[in-house]
Amino acid sequence: MLYSRRSVLAGLGAIGTAALTPPRHAFARIDDRPFFFFTDDEARFLALICDTLIPEDEFPSASQAGVVDYIDLQMAGPYGRGARLYMQPPFAEGTASQGYQLPLVPAQLIRQGLADLADRDDGALRRDAAARKAALTQLSAGDPAALQGHGSTFFDELWKLTNEGFFADPIHGGNADYAGWNMVGFPGAHAYYQSFVDKFNVPYPKPPMGINHKPGGDGAMPRPLRQREG
Amino acid sequence: MPDITLPKIDVVIVGGGWTGLTVAYELAHAGQRCVVLERGGHRHDATSFAGPEEHDELKYAIRHEHMIDVKQNTLTFRNGRDQRALPMRRLGSFLPGEGLGGAGIHWNGQIWRPLPSDLQMRSHYEDRYGAQFIPDDLNVQDWGVTYDELEPHLDFFERICGTAGYAGNLNGEQRAGGNVHEGPRRNEYPNPPMKQPIGPTLFGEAAARMGLNPFPMPSANVTAAYENPYGAQLHPCTYCGFCERFGCGYFAKADPIICVYDRIKEHENFEIRFRSTVLRIDKAADGQTATGVTYINAEGREVFQPADVVCMNAYGLWNVHLMLLSGLGTPYDPATGSGTVGRNYAYQTLAGVNVFFDEEIVTNPFMGAGALGTVIDDYNGDNFDHADLGFLGGAYVAATQYHGRPISYQPVPEGTPSWGAEWKRAVRENYLHHVGIGVHGSSMATPENFLDLDPTWTDAFGRPLLRMTFNFPENDRRMTDWVMQRAVEVARNMDNVRSVSSSNRAASGNDYSIVPYQTTHNTGGAVIGTDPATSVVNRYGQMWDHHNVFVFGACLFPQNLGYNPTGPLMGLAYWTLEHLKNEYLNNARPLMDA
Amino acid sequence: MSLTLKSTLKAGVVIAVAATPLVLAAQSSETTAPGTLEALLADDRTLFNATIETTVPDDDLLELGRLVAMGGADNGGSGMACITCHGGQGEGDGSGTFPRLAGLPGWYSYKQLNDYASGDRPNQVMTGIAQRLTDREREAVAVYYAVVQSPVIGPRGTADQGQMQWGGQLAAVGNAEKGIPACVNCHGPQGTGNPPSVPYLAGQYANYMTYQLELWKDGVRKNDAMDVMSTIARKMTREDMEAVSEYYYRVYNPLTTAKDR
Repeated sequence: MLYSRRSVLAGLGAIGTAALTPPRHAFARIDDRPFFFFTDDEARFLALICDTLIPEDEFPSASQAGVVDYIDLQMAGPYGRGARLYMQPPFAEGTASQGYQLPLVPAQLIRQGLADLADRDDGALRRDAAARKAALTQLSAGDPAALQGHGSTFFDELWKLTNEGFFADPIHGGNADYAGWNMVGFPGAHAYYQSFVDKFNVPYPKPPMGINHKPGGDGAMPRPLRQREG
Repeated sequence: MPDITLPKIDVVIVGGGWTGLTVAYELAHAGQRCVVLERGGHRHDATSFAGPEEHDELKYAIRHEHMIDVKQNTLTFRNGRDQRALPMRRLGSFLPGEGLGGAGIHWNGQIWRPLPSDLQMRSHYEDRYGAQFIPDDLNVQDWGVTYDELEPHLDFFERICGTAGYAGNLNGEQRAGGNVHEGPRRNEYPNPPMKQPIGPTLFGEAAARMGLNPFPMPSANVTAAYENPYGAQLHPCTYCGFCERFGCGYFAKADPIICVYDRIKEHENFEIRFRSTVLRIDKAADGQTATGVTYINAEGREVFQPADVVCMNAYGLWNVHLMLLSGLGTPYDPATGSGTVGRNYAYQTLAGVNVFFDEEIVTNPFMGAGALGTVIDDYNGDNFDHADLGFLGGAYVAATQYHGRPISYQPVPEGTPSWGAEWKRAVRENYLHHVGIGVHGSSMATPENFLDLDPTWTDAFGRPLLRMTFNFPENDRRMTDWVMQRAVEVARNMDNVRSVSSSNRAASGNDYSIVPYQTTHNTGGAVIGTDPATSVVNRYGQMWDHHNVFVFGACLFPQNLGYNPTGPLMGLAYWTLEHLKNEYLNNARPLMDA
Repeated sequence: MSLTLKSTLKAGVVIAVAATPLVLAAQSSETTAPGTLEALLADDRTLFNATIETTVPDDDLLELGRLVAMGGADNGGSGMACITCHGGQGEGDGSGTFPRLAGLPGWYSYKQLNDYASGDRPNQVMTGIAQRLTDREREAVAVYYAVVQSPVIGPRGTADQGQMQWGGQLAAVGNAEKGIPACVNCHGPQGTGNPPSVPYLAGQYANYMTYQLELWKDGVRKNDAMDVMSTIARKMTREDMEAVSEYYYRVYNPLTTAKDR
């Protein structure tokens, strides 16, 4: 049987099944590919966390918008491996003004942060939305028990990635079907507003188009052409 | 010992950005054989910045693909001498460039002039407010060049960029609708102002009602098809909202590639070598001059390039770094107060006001440009009476519409949670109904804010990193606080406003942080002046200690103005070139007595 | 040696109007019924394409547009039917003498008609035609053609691969040495245009586009909204123009090409 993201996330249980029913689900498009970086369990856990940060309301949740895909691709790619990050030792604790000083590249930080959160959990985080919310609140405030005192650094990175995944151009794997852009009203990459800029208080009528937009499509990366088995 | 020694040339230029390419253009046309050494690679607006691929917020605005890679070159930072400086491991507060065109590719395109009083800040403040007004712990200095001397050069650069604006002081005639506080200019701007969207328009209307003097921000995002004095063709701006942090595929944002490089690249006196990192400037045995530069070429070989004249045209911070690494001049020591290289480092002091409108106002924030906005200059420089205020300096206040890129542009009212369901709702309810007002303030120099070399960390070539020690002086905290309150007054006066909130980066208790982006306006460290005890270069941009080394860029500023630095630094560049060409080349010597 | 289009028109001989147009099997003298067109207006993108300033297309406007296209306008019309040269579905006549109109932004076509009438865009045939249309008729026919879709006629024969590569390159990334910005910047992804002011290139006749570039280069045509086409065309050689035109002619344009006939 082909390894399928949809089947992986189906293990989410009661929470999130609503996300899986419509064919518009983000994972339907790149169903053929396994996650590049995360294990199944990590991906499921991450989806729960991201959906606490950006929950479903009249607009898709983070995982419905493909944020888990996005983060997976980022971690597997140059960014996750530490591109544009100065990693020369020694490493020392600094003040908040001095910025990031951990000897971890983003992929390590995210993996260790998730593992740390999961290790200190008795199952409540996977079951209970309120518990997740409380845990994340504590994490962002600088829970000293989390990740040897670096919990807030992990949280900041996770939130940043979630936010990016919701709103970046769909070629990066998230913002599925322009979920984020539709929500705010951002027209996208094909931007030519010379004749509109001085029309005051007129909503811009054109629907969003990403860099790889095909008419009638959603601007995502091209799909692999493999046959689907099973 | 270098692997290769090349034949001597007339002029070697370190850095291929605005000042480097301009120096090459002018000197090549003056018969000088010029070689530009650029650390990064070749790129061009047509091929490298074509939409829609260029319009990728994640890649360019967030991952900084057009900017320097900190793995190659970064710096260490601390707020004060009592701390250990640590590496800036990721870009944040400022975004230096790399490659052909440097930061001139991804700049906003705001073009300003200094006020006449800015250039003579010490004399002016002492004349007006008394000799005791300036506190001892602020190193405020005169530049040694006057506005009248710089005016033709400021004007020329504005014409190189096809600047779009409306003159507020045309040969002494004050014109409402322009900046009535500016120094007199001889020419109207070369292009008409940008079209102002509703947010900035409402700001301007409120300001005018209050008796202030709003005007459209002067912009190098040109507004009509334009040919510049070098023969370059620029095209009108499309307000695409992918301006700052991006290159312009429309040829609408003036940049060094289309404005200068394309017009000089075929010239017989011009050569540029890419992927060439200058390791040091070499000094003659007697220390009076430089003999040339040593660099690592694209193949990784060490090359010595001898030259009659050495021009330092890297980004300001790296000019200072190179001086320190090469032993040019005397490094500043804050403990004793001696030395000048690295002294008087300054930055920019920012505050902001968020204005949220009711549903009737639809701002379409994604229709933006890097220099699009309406400004009041009534609280900048010494345009207002400082007598009882207890600070120097000021800020421009502008309602701008740069972009609506959805990862970065998520304005929400004060008190909104920073994630979750409520946050999500607030983002979408406010996206189309907000305008930001920026307070863009001056930055005074102090003995405790300086640049030197770090003892621990190194760059990709094993050289010590530059070390930056900086925190906001009390003076600047008071100044931004005061101007921000004025900005809030205007905001509260605007039509259709639902709520207003404000924040001051330099509020009391806020240390300067290199994490959040503020501006790429790092100034000082190689200050211009008439006294070698307090400056690195004389008023012609020539190093006091080495008369064939000329320095360009914002590193020359004794303190920073309440304006973006590109206009003033290019005015200085053309001023320096005038003297280099007409007085130095035929008789190489110090142009000023020490 | 064949007459070039330029020499033909300069001589004042209006070809292909009096003479029978090159009719290929695909051309029809029937216009698309208004009911079908209105259905197309339900799509956001088509509605945006067709909107001229504040004129929102409705049934009446479309019907008037169709009448104008067939030569039956109220004002006595221009004496000319658009469809004679531009085809019943705005697909042209296959020769490239007359451009495709199907799917052009309403604002753009309206502007061209105004510019023809005033002489801002010189054309001995179109000026007379445009002058005899009222403002409402110009709006109507522009909106009509904005909504219409039709298949592209031609090209025939095999393309020169080197030319295709060069044209595609200019289209996508321009040329650094000559300072030519990429067409895609303004003319949209896959040359589908950027309504309201920027027309599509994909599927437009190659010889028509080459001719327009020549006219810009010579300064004969200078009515583009941003006044950039002259400076761009001046940097192009004849070979550049032909390459980019032949390339775009063969690009599939789903916005203006009906899926079924």
